[in-house]
Amino acid sequence: MQHFWDRPLSWGTAGIFVASAIGVLGFVIFFVTYAIYFERKFIGWMQYRQGPNRTGPLGLLQSVADVAKLLFKEDTIPKKADRGLFILAPVLAFVPSFAVLAFIPYTLELQFADLNVGFLYYIALSGITTIAIVVAGWASNNKYSLLGGMRSAAQMISYEVPLVMSVVGVVMMTGSLNLREIVIAQSGYFWEWNFLPQILGFVIFLIAAVSELNRTPFDLPEAESELVAGYHVEYSGFRFAFFMLTEYIYVYAIACLTTILFLGGWNPPIPQLDFVPGILWFFLKFSVIVFFLFWIRATFPRLRVDQLMGMAWKVLLPLAILNIFLTAIGIELMG
Amino acid sequence: MIRTEELLLNVGPQHPSTHGVFRIVVKLDGEIITEATPVMGYLHRGTEKLAENLNFTQIIPYTDRMDYVSAMTNNYVLCHAVEKMMGLEIPERAEFMRLIVMEMQRVASHLVWWGTYLLDIGAMSPFLYAFSDRERILQMFNELCGARLTYNYMRVGGVKWDAPDGWIDKVKTFVKDMYNRLDEYHNLVSGNEIFLSRIKGIGQYDAKTAIDYGLSGANLRSTGVKWDLRKAEPYSLYDRFEFDVPVGKNGDCFDRYECRMEEIVQSLRILEQALEQFPGEGETMGKVPRVIRPPAGEIYVRIESPRGEIGCHIVSKGKAEPFRLKFRRPSFVNLQILPKLLVGESMTNLVTILGGIDIVLGEVDC
Amino acid sequence: MKGMLKGLGVTLKTMGTKKVTLAYPDVPIEMPDRFRGIQYFEPDKCIVCNQCARICPTDCITLTGKANPDPEKKGKVIDTFDINFEICILCDLCTEVCPTEAIVMTNNFELATYSRDDLYKDKQWLYENNLNIREDNNNIGSPKGGAK
Repeated sequence: MQHFWDRPLSWGTAGIFVASAIGVLGFVIFFVTYAIYFERKFIGWMQYRQGPNRTGPLGLLQSVADVAKLLFKEDTIPKKADRGLFILAPVLAFVPSFAVLAFIPYTLELQFADLNVGFLYYIALSGITTIAIVVAGWASNNKYSLLGGMRSAAQMISYEVPLVMSVVGVVMMTGSLNLREIVIAQSGYFWEWNFLPQILGFVIFLIAAVSELNRTPFDLPEAESELVAGYHVEYSGFRFAFFMLTEYIYVYAIACLTTILFLGGWNPPIPQLDFVPGILWFFLKFSVIVFFLFWIRATFPRLRVDQLMGMAWKVLLPLAILNIFLTAIGIELMG
Repeated sequence: MIRTEELLLNVGPQHPSTHGVFRIVVKLDGEIITEATPVMGYLHRGTEKLAENLNFTQIIPYTDRMDYVSAMTNNYVLCHAVEKMMGLEIPERAEFMRLIVMEMQRVASHLVWWGTYLLDIGAMSPFLYAFSDRERILQMFNELCGARLTYNYMRVGGVKWDAPDGWIDKVKTFVKDMYNRLDEYHNLVSGNEIFLSRIKGIGQYDAKTAIDYGLSGANLRSTGVKWDLRKAEPYSLYDRFEFDVPVGKNGDCFDRYECRMEEIVQSLRILEQALEQFPGEGETMGKVPRVIRPPAGEIYVRIESPRGEIGCHIVSKGKAEPFRLKFRRPSFVNLQILPKLLVGESMTNLVTILGGIDIVLGEVDC
Repeated sequence: MKGMLKGLGVTLKTMGTKKVTLAYPDVPIEMPDRFRGIQYFEPDKCIVCNQCARICPTDCITLTGKANPDPEKKGKVIDTFDINFEICILCDLCTEVCPTEAIVMTNNFELATYSRDDLYKDKQWLYENNLNIREDNNNIGSPKGGAK
């Protein structure tokens, strides 16, 4: 894809851009549909249940039916809500979530935009979604959603700091923020992947990432048992679907990022296995991360707000800084 | 100094964690509660007033609907009160049946509490784990008396049904399995650091406060007061069995959790012994006059329900209907401490504390 | 950390175990014999003694009798017999007091309808509700003869 960037923009290349964007959108929506399906299946199995099994064969059409239902639902806007912001919020949440997908390298060739600052681009854009959530919470004019919005603002801003800091170690080892180069630097046996030399960074990254995703055990913004549904309590129909879509696209993005930054991207665990296409390795590792997210959701209870903030600033951030320090020493000693 | 506006938030009556139609009006400063006012009565059905026009057999199905998570103990307290008033003799086998179903009910009730409490705290799986085991108890009740929730099983003078063939063995197998399941529960939840940090030191009160507020059940025992009516004033056949009364130390949510989990074990112990000593044959219904007319007078009896001390006060004028019937419902009494506990806590702790008290709205509102 | 890992182990182990859910609407649930479902009523057995209506805690049974059409015989026969399932709590007391077992429980429990009016079941409907009738109607606990 990269060579398109270098040519002057013509109608042809613009068409290719649009077509590939729609292709990615289609793929991501497909992923979201089946991520929700498998999430419900796995969690069901972990709870002595079957999960969805009535719509379509094996329940495979369950998410499709759910989305269809959301589409046909009446579009309600509360009378006292801030109409403009209420409509804007789901869009504002969704657009950056989709935009961050542009830079993810699936294989050496398959990448839509090769940015030199790939990781920073992700952090910068995903921050906008936080604003959207606060806006949604505020515009709904509902006390629960306001609390949810405030919690999510506090949480996502706090956890972005350790998230970025934990990746600094990887960046130092590679000497680049470019995601493609980070993966290339990890080629070789699986113990050369970043998750072993950067084990501390890896753990911090995982915890901070789950928190960024607002998933259990960090799902405070939508804590069902306290805030009913948090920031999207007043949303229904397709606007609500957009929030859900955003959430799952970020699951996709974070799983991709973890694969790239710490699990060697498209590299096979041992170089002898390179006859298997890299994209399969990529999605295998990706699936493991996604499964891990479902698994902890089925097991863990939720943290409390003050514990959550305390963990970000008192535990994760110092550890991330320590990790940077240790990495620097390591690089200095071992060259 | 920046002053922030206080937020008046209506938690309930439709809210996922109020365990029914309970409502708390909380004043929030940020996320900190400065004032909490419980509002109850959304499920009030006037059971006590209705009972004045019903004879005692007819009241039994109404007691099922008070604490619907633990209907057997409610059945028992009413029957026990009438029997005591009339000085009736209960056959041993009937008394054993009552005791067995009451202890099974205690296990079932604590399982519901455990599951929903973890659901309040944010873990989804324990709820379904607990319900899959509770289901076995309900199935056994279904085989015994034909209903899964509103049993209407006990009668003044005995029980309606004898155990069906093989039922006692089923309970025996269940008791054995339940020990293993409890280990699994502890593996799943009790060691989880997130869970422990959520409940340790939350909603703490001392023994004096607990007694002043009239708390009972695990809410009282978590403060270290060893008060269990099964031991303190043995009714039924509880004096024949060996069991311990688990007590806590700090009176926080964690101790209440520990107490209830341990109570399940003790109930299983009682069940084991009761099933061992279960008489091979005998009547399940004592000699009861055709019309149940307690002599004029009044009586108060109390027993230990899974939630605490459930009492029944009957004023009789010698008629078939009670002149006045009053239930002391443990959930209702235990709830009184809630506004005191909530002040200064965060929104998140609200559900932890409320869940820890273990209320059933059918009983609170009666 | 150890506690969390243990928890993860439990959920992972559960993933492979047998599921406990029922395929209910596809496979009907077999209720045990003692189950208290919608009553079955046999008009021929009824002697119009009114005990069921009197014991009912929610007053959901209304019945009327008429003189026996056969002039040879004494007593009454049932004319109308209605149960209002909006308020019936299936407590089993009516079947418990019935001296002739004219009214007995069945194992049928599906009562959902689109209209409240459908919940008034009359003599004919209750007579036709003749599947899964409870066999063991052993009324150990019944104060035979009812109250009063």
